[in-house]
Amino acid sequence: MKFHILTLNRRAPRLGVLKDVEDRPNVQIETPVALLHTQGGHIPHVTHEVFKLVSNEPQILQISLVSMHCFQETMEYYHGGISEFIGSKDSLTCLTLHDPSNITKQGHHVKDKIPIWTKHGKVLYNSEMYMNIVEHFKPDMYYLLSDGDTNKTSPQKRISKAVENTISFSKQCLERHKKSQLLKNKFVMAPIAGGYCVKARDKCIEALLKEGDVFSGFLIDGLHNNGPEVEFLPFAEVKGVVNYVVKKLPDEKLISVQGCWNPLNVIKLVQLGIDVFDTSYCRILTERSSALTFNIEENEDEENYEINLRDSKFSEDFNPIFDVCKCLACTKYSKAYIHHLLTVQELLAPVLIMIHNIHHYLRFFKKIRECIGNNTLERLEEQISNQYKKHHDKILNKNEDEYRNGFSSGNESEELL
Amino acid sequence: MPNIIKPLVFNVIAECKTSKARASKMILPHGPVDTPVFMPVGTQGTLKGMLPEKLNEMGLQIMLANTYHLGTKPGPEILKKAGGLHKFMNWDRNLLTDSGGFQMVSLLKLAEINEQGVKFQSLNKEKGEVMLTPEHSIEIQNAIGADIIMQLDDVIKTTSPDKSRIEESVYRTTRWLDRCIEAHSNPDTQNIFPIVQGTLYEDLRIISAHDLTKRNLNGFAIGGLSGGESKDDFWKIVHLCTDLLPKNKPRYLMGVGFATDLVVCSALGVDMFDCVFPTRTARFGCALTMTGQLNLKKTKYAKDFKPIDKDCWCSTCKNYTRAYLSGIVTDLPIASTLLTEHNVAFQMRLMQKIRDSICEGKFPEFVQAFMLGVHPDKCYPTWIIDSLMAVNITLL
Repeated sequence: MKFHILTLNRRAPRLGVLKDVEDRPNVQIETPVALLHTQGGHIPHVTHEVFKLVSNEPQILQISLVSMHCFQETMEYYHGGISEFIGSKDSLTCLTLHDPSNITKQGHHVKDKIPIWTKHGKVLYNSEMYMNIVEHFKPDMYYLLSDGDTNKTSPQKRISKAVENTISFSKQCLERHKKSQLLKNKFVMAPIAGGYCVKARDKCIEALLKEGDVFSGFLIDGLHNNGPEVEFLPFAEVKGVVNYVVKKLPDEKLISVQGCWNPLNVIKLVQLGIDVFDTSYCRILTERSSALTFNIEENEDEENYEINLRDSKFSEDFNPIFDVCKCLACTKYSKAYIHHLLTVQELLAPVLIMIHNIHHYLRFFKKIRECIGNNTLERLEEQISNQYKKHHDKILNKNEDEYRNGFSSGNESEELL
Repeated sequence: MPNIIKPLVFNVIAECKTSKARASKMILPHGPVDTPVFMPVGTQGTLKGMLPEKLNEMGLQIMLANTYHLGTKPGPEILKKAGGLHKFMNWDRNLLTDSGGFQMVSLLKLAEINEQGVKFQSLNKEKGEVMLTPEHSIEIQNAIGADIIMQLDDVIKTTSPDKSRIEESVYRTTRWLDRCIEAHSNPDTQNIFPIVQGTLYEDLRIISAHDLTKRNLNGFAIGGLSGGESKDDFWKIVHLCTDLLPKNKPRYLMGVGFATDLVVCSALGVDMFDCVFPTRTARFGCALTMTGQLNLKKTKYAKDFKPIDKDCWCSTCKNYTRAYLSGIVTDLPIASTLLTEHNVAFQMRLMQKIRDSICEGKFPEFVQAFMLGVHPDKCYPTWIIDSLMAVNITLL
């Protein structure tokens, strides 16, 4: 797989395409793109068969090691790749370490190892174990092992350690990569660690660039510890460091960030030159029973940025979530029905909400690409910004905690089991 | 009366020459139903995470919904405003609703039955005691708008020793049927089915069936079974009831859904079945196959790269291995949906085999092969041997 920049503007905001995929000459994926966030190989609540009713376009599934660790041994014996194993062999896959929709526990570092937090507790991975997984999974793209355990408040010592670890993991992984026949044509993404310290970022970038032209792209890691908090991360906090790192990296390479970024911050990150995101934001919304209703096209005039379908005001609202939306949930089901499913804790509720949220979020990315193409991204930013700010103010007034508590009730469907 | 639209047409298309099994086509307001049929249970207006689009694609023709649950939430008012349950849940094929009575007796310890109806403690705290009368049950079922609705019956545990109470329930069920018919406001679009009662007493079953069949309705149910009685008692009552009920109308055996029971009771002449078992067991990680069930929680499947059942056409079997399902089964809600899909497909496939073999005149051979598959050691339970013997099928 290769990345090509399509716009004259080789740096931010830019359009690109991923193509020349091994065995799949016809597949093209345009950037900026949102990888489909998965858990255990599935978009939460949506089976691959149902997803076909949402989109027929080629997609890249973001496979997190933490949610697939249980298959570590199984995959040693399985002949195919991960996409086939999880039942979606037409999809491309991108292997990453953590699940961006869940908070990654901080600390617990052990020399030469990275802790991941699976459903059965802590598991330590070193470069060798990680690369074994990569070889068994055979993803189309993957990130090298990294130490991303930093955030705005990390002390210098932690930051230095994170950079040191990431450099050493990357070198070890790369050594394996170069030797591996299986991985020869895979798209390798190098992690840039270093928290909010530009010196540390510099050090990491310098060390990795010394490895020569082996990386197809980069991940700006260590901006946060994942989970729903990322939604509320002020852009001003991340802007400086992201901008710095992007400018330091070779401009022909793909650049990605991970996490539940809200749409406004997505646009701002695109403007800095980020090409790859993921749909973990859709999961955190779905878990709090919220559906995205921000306007994407100029002729759309929904008042709310998002709506919470648990709200009893929807109990007799037989309209769809979003009037003009063409997704399966909006064309066939009403807010009243989804509200009913939520009140009786039925599994179909998050299925329908997720179908809409993913559809909406992918439509948003399509719009971003369109706006880059015709130079109207700022207008889109302004439009979404107005709606988002109004929404955000409302939450702040309401007490942010109460709002986020919606998240805890999201596991009800699992309790039903 | 001229121009009455008949909301149920039942045509027997093939009869087994050995047993009482028959294959039929039933036409309901929302399309055809091929019988013998198994109806999965979508209690609250949804089938356990499955999209109706998917069920449609699978060829499901009818599913159940529960009046007690839907009457509580979202309630008849919202259902009426939505234009009925079909529209509300986006399901344009057939629906059947129960009367709500069974749920009250089974779910609510405080239920008390008198001539007026079933009195129970409302889950809704403010309301206190609530009475579900035959009229009220039909009113809710009219709001739901299912193609087949059930009369409110006086359900007694099959294990109850009190014959006089059982006798009372038989007569009361008939009296309640008349009240249900009287209260029914959509007889042109919704079929009301009476329910034969009488637990394990043959004389009472005869009285019940006799009285109910006098009301000229489009189909009949056999109730009060599958409630803890022995299989030896169970099959004899089914056998008796199918003899008592008219041949030209569908017979619905309530609450039965294990594969073996479906095969035996089809041989005894039952046309319709329902049970929560296949969808419930799916949520516990169990997948059904023609030779028994797989508990996918077991670690032995971790390296098993076969589908649940290589002969199954469902998309779970087409796309996923036992190893994968085993890894997600206790962890992701999606696993419930995938196994539910398989189990519903399994029930449909089994019923298809039953219907096909009846139509091809090979039903007894099918029964023999099926039972041998489940009991390869030929140690058949006696009730299976006896019940099949009663309809002239001998096992291999």
